[in-house]
Order: sequence, then C-alpha cells, then structure tokens
Amino acid sequence: MSKQRSGARGSPGNVTRRRFLKSASAIAGVAAAPLFLSRRLYAANPIEIVHWSWLSASDGEVWQKMIDAFNEAHKDKGVQIRMELVPEEQYVTKVLAAVATGKGPDFGWGTAGKGAQLARDQVTVALDDLASQAGLDLADFSASSLKASRYPKYDNKMFMVPMDLMSLQPEINLDHVKEAGLDPSDPPKDGASLLEWAGKLTKRDGDKVTRSGIMMTGSGVQPTVTWGIVAEQMGFQRASDDLKTACVNPEAGKAAMQWVLDLFDKHRVSTRDITDRYKAFGNGQGSIFWTGPWTLNGYVQQKLNFETALFPKIGEKRVTYFEMGGLELYAQQDTGRYEATMQAVKWLSDNSFLWTTVGRGASPRKSILDRPDYKTAGHPWSVRGAFIDGMEFATVGEIPVVNGPNFTVYSGGNFLAKSLEGVWAGQVSIDDAMATIQKQWQADLDEG
Amino acid sequence: MAAGMPHLSMARANAGRPSAGSAGGESAPTDWMGYLFVGLFALPFFLFNILPVLFGAYVAFTKWSIIGKPKWIGLANFEAAFADHWVAVAFHNVLLYGAIVVPGVTVLGLSFALFVNQRYPLAALARTLFFAPNVVSATVIGLVWVWLLDTQYGLVNHYVGLLGLGPVPWLTSTDWSLIGVSLASIWWDLGLVFVLFLAALQDIPRDITEAAMVDGADRVRRFWFVILPHLRPVISMVVTLQLISTLRIFSQVYVMTNGGPAGSSSSPIYYIYNTAIVRSLFGYASAIGMMLFAVILVVTLLQRFAIRERA
Repeated sequence: MSKQRSGARGSPGNVTRRRFLKSASAIAGVAAAPLFLSRRLYAANPIEIVHWSWLSASDGEVWQKMIDAFNEAHKDKGVQIRMELVPEEQYVTKVLAAVATGKGPDFGWGTAGKGAQLARDQVTVALDDLASQAGLDLADFSASSLKASRYPKYDNKMFMVPMDLMSLQPEINLDHVKEAGLDPSDPPKDGASLLEWAGKLTKRDGDKVTRSGIMMTGSGVQPTVTWGIVAEQMGFQRASDDLKTACVNPEAGKAAMQWVLDLFDKHRVSTRDITDRYKAFGNGQGSIFWTGPWTLNGYVQQKLNFETALFPKIGEKRVTYFEMGGLELYAQQDTGRYEATMQAVKWLSDNSFLWTTVGRGASPRKSILDRPDYKTAGHPWSVRGAFIDGMEFATVGEIPVVNGPNFTVYSGGNFLAKSLEGVWAGQVSIDDAMATIQKQWQADLDEG
Repeated sequence: MAAGMPHLSMARANAGRPSAGSAGGESAPTDWMGYLFVGLFALPFFLFNILPVLFGAYVAFTKWSIIGKPKWIGLANFEAAFADHWVAVAFHNVLLYGAIVVPGVTVLGLSFALFVNQRYPLAALARTLFFAPNVVSATVIGLVWVWLLDTQYGLVNHYVGLLGLGPVPWLTSTDWSLIGVSLASIWWDLGLVFVLFLAALQDIPRDITEAAMVDGADRVRRFWFVILPHLRPVISMVVTLQLISTLRIFSQVYVMTNGGPAGSSSSPIYYIYNTAIVRSLFGYASAIGMMLFAVILVVTLLQRFAIRERA
C-alpha cells in the first residue's frame, strides 16, 4: 500500500489557504454580480414610479383601474407606475423604514391631518413649488380641501394633493325598512327618530339581539367613531381651537359614552357579538350602518338593497366624521424624480372623475363637481348622494399635531380606541376613561 | 482480517494529524473546508439572528422611530412598560393562555396517539386527520375559526345549542375571547404533538408491555407504570416547545380578535407588533421584547427543572 504524505497537493480532502481565499472571492463575486447587472438593465427601461397603496377593499379595485389608465396613457411616453399594496396599519412604519434607507416609494396615499410626524421629519415633501411647476391648478380645489392638506406648524406648507373627501353617513337596508313598515323617504333626522327606527328594525331572540337596528361591534372602530361623532354633536371638543386644551366640555364626552352603551344595554338595538361589521351589514345582520363611501362599490356589486341618508342630529348640532384622502410624495435621494412623480400625481388628480364617482369620496375639484354628469355617473345618487351632500357638516376631522393619531376617532387600535374598549366591555367606568383620555391628550397637545 | 480494517481506517483518519510528541518541523495544514462549511451557516446566523437580538437589546434603552438616530434614555422604556396596564394584561393573558393550551395539546395529543397506536379500525385515517391542521398556516386557521366561533352562525355554537346551551360569545366577550383563541391554537398545534407522541409510543418495546400484561397489569396500570415513564423525555420536550410557542403567540390573536375585546386576548407579541409597527415606538417595543425574552427564559428553566426533578 503506497503511503501518501499528509498535505500532499492534489489530495481531495485538503484545502490550502490560497485555495480557500480564491473560492470565497469567487462566491462573493457571483453573489454581487446581479446588483450591477440589474442596475444596467434598469437604466435601459422607462421611468418607473413606485406607488404604495393600502386600499384593499372594493375601492382598491377602482384605484387599480386609475393606475392602469395612467399606464395605458403613458406607455409611449416612457413613464409607468408600479403599485404595491401595503396593509394600512403598517403603512406609516414601512414608509419610515423605506425612506430612512433611501428606498422609499415615490408617492402614496395619505390621510389629511395624520401626517404631522412625516412632515416634521421631512419624510413627506412640501408640494407648493412642485405643484406650481407641474401646472396643477390649485384654484380648482375647494378651500377646505387645501386647508386640510396643510400643516400650520410646518410653515403652513401643503403636504398632499387632495384626492377625495369622505364623510360617515348611515347606510340603511331598505328591505328591513319595508319589512318594519317604515317610510324609506323619511329617514331619521334626530336622536329620537333614530332610536325609534332602530327599535322597530331590531330583531331579538329572547334577550339576544339577532339583527341589529344599529350596526355596532363590541370593540374597535365602530363604537369609537360613533362616540367621536355623538360627543362632538353633544358639544364635546377633543382639543380647543388653539390646540392648547384637551377635552373641552368633558361632560358631553361622558354623555356620549353613555349614549353608545345604551345602544347595547338599555335600548338593546345593537349587539357586541358582531366581529366583522362590513360582512354583517352585507349579510343583513344589521339595518343601519354608518360608514364611509369606500363601502359603496362592494355593496353595489353585491346588489344589496340600500340607500344612504344624512347623519341624524343626535346632540345640539349636526356633525359627522370627515376624512380627506390625498397623494403625498416621499423624500428621495434622487430629487430629480420629484418632477416625474408630480406629473403623475397631477394626471391622477385631473382624471379623478372615475375615482370620485365609483371609487370613494366626493371630489375636491370644482371642475369635476360642476360636471353635469357628476351626479348621474358612477353609483346611483341614492347611495352616493348623502356622502357628498353631507360634506357640509362633516367637521369631525383630525387634530393636526405630531401625536394626532392618538386623537383619531376612526381607529380600532389607537390610544382612544383602547381607552374606550374598557367602557364598552363594562370594565372601566366612564369617569375613569375620560380622565385617562384627558391626561394623555393634554400631554400630546403639550408636546406639539 | 477484520481486526486490521479498523486499524487501517484509523490510520487514514489520523493522516495529517501531528502525532503526540512528534518533533518540531512539519505542522499539519489547516482544514479550511471545514471552516468554509461552518462559515456558510455561521455568517448568516450571526447577521440575521444574533445581530438583530443585540441591536434590539440596544434599542430597548433608546427612544427611536426609525427616522434619525436612536436617543439614549436609559431605563425609561422599562419603567414605562412596568407601569403600562396593557403590558401587564398581555403577560397575564399569555400565561393564562399557556395554562389552557399546553395541557390541552399535551393530553389530547397523547390521547390521539394512544388511539392510533392501538391500531383500531380507521386508525390510519385518524392519523391523517389529526395531523392535517398542522400543515395549514396559522392565518388560515384563524380565519376559519373566526367563522366557526361566530356567535350567531358559527358551527361550534350550533352544536352547543344542540346540547341545550345558549350561544357562547367566543370572540366578542372578555370572558371567552382567550378561550376561543385557545381552541383554535389547540386544534392547530395538536398535529405535531400527536406525531411526536406516536413516534415515541412506537419506540416502546412491545415485549415490555406484553410482559406487564402477562403479569396481570390492566390497561390503566400498563399506561401509568410502563408507557408513561418511557414517554417522559418526549413529554418534557413537548411541554417545553409548547410553552415557548404559547408565550410567542401572535397570528391567531391578530386574525381572530386583534387582541380584544378590551385587551382580553392580547399577547405580548401582539402588543409589541402594535407598538412597533403601528405606533412606530421601536424603543418601547424592544423593551417589552426583552421582558418577554426574560419571561420565556425563566419559565423554560423552571419547567426543565421541574421535569428533571421528577425524573
């Protein structure tokens, strides 16, 4: 048997230091190659504008059509939009992370009043100059929509292009109304008639509510936004007009909490047992459901027999929740991208007729509102009209401070919703909840 | 000769290694191939496992919302976490959840394994059915169980009604929400535990159980004095794995209840997710994460100590 010297060259089991380093370098080179190749390939393609959207309900289908229309119109001009869906609750954090690493999207959806932190940290780009350069006609926008797009604390600059205005109004199941012998042409206009309708529309099996007169859930968005609207109707203010004092007229806020509780426990026109309010209304488990225009496309496609009405005046004044959606630009390392992005946003705004008749809320553009076919195009006015006419008293908006999300009434997981959940579950007294809310909100206002 | 063969392989194995007491001169070449293979694992493991944990530990002592640099604030996040009512609720919930799920999964998993191991009719079908839920993702399980546990139209309440009982608000009541989530988790986790117990049962030598039978031991005594002692290592492993898994629950909570109502089904991981991803408070979320790490470590050590003491 021949002996082999240990470490002899060519023996398969041993790797010398030189061979190891060569192998490692080769592997690293192969791994890094695609980075360079992809850059060369990207440079040869048209400009791709990256757009993040959280719209995943039936309104998302319409928004996809808007993007497709843009891409179709611009396919010969070397500009395309690539849309990516991001869950709404993760949206802000993902935008922050992406922009921090220099890989943020070019533009995305924002909600007016909720982006103070993004404006403060220069994650979103001020648009006054860009809008002017792109030729966006700001005079065509309603004054209220432009005001909502600005942050007074940050030079009052405009940080989004308004796209639609939304308000919360009651959608009413007409089959239930007819069954209960009520007049659909005379929907409830005040608190008393609302409860009367709700009582007649509710179905019970013993003590259990099997069909809610007023669609509600035991926790989450629905009771929170209901409280927010009713509280302001009763005279409560989340923050004073100068944003210095929290919880103005707290007794009205407490009365509103009791009003919501009474729906479950006193009038028994709502049940805490609903888990998915959208599905439940669509399945006929509730008769009156106040929600926003983002639900229209789904229920119309489903052929649900419903109409919308104006939110009743439950307190001293008639108000309802207001939300404005808009497109915001995010900070880029290559500032040369802003021009192409702003042009894309301008096109989407100028061509938002489809979006504001079929997709979601009312248009902020006077030229679109004045079109003779604005009321007849898209979804029937019987389901769309109240959302537009109701904009007149839709004033329960966002509090434009850095911790504004803590004040948002349309939320199921923020500080407000969590604080109120204990009240709905009977675990926390109304007085204790108001004290907790007041303390936190005051701290938030003091922070600025 | 057979005796020569091991000697030859030993000689080959020792080739290249310096013999003891050999004079200086030639040193054995380093086996770089070994380091290469270890490095292929170690480098990604360090980058994607160890480094994030160390970074998280650092962030726990800072105030940070991604934009800008983390600002050192010492123990402020931990003080806030100890004072935060919702953190206490989340930890309380998860310990309660563990107290329901761990015994539930262990007992049911063992019961199903014993059934299948007896080779009763339909045992083969039962084996497939018991394991099937485990291959489905937790999100799908959660979505399915939301419908199963619906108060009005859910299948579970339909059968509960047949027993003459009223509908149970599984997911909409603070008293029942954690139990509803636990039911879904037990159903999902059962498959893997069942397979582990079945493998362990099949490993028990038949002659031992037969000897006990011959000695007059009935089924219960055979299980208690023969089978169970053999299963102790597996039981220890199952309980350990389940404890760690229950303390980290997230998907079912997120999909089924969003931690509600009123935080009654919230878990530490869900609260961390909400704090970090929804509210962008990464420093605070990291502090709660460190607290969870400490709790898992303590619970696991206690459980291992208890099992070892009994053995």
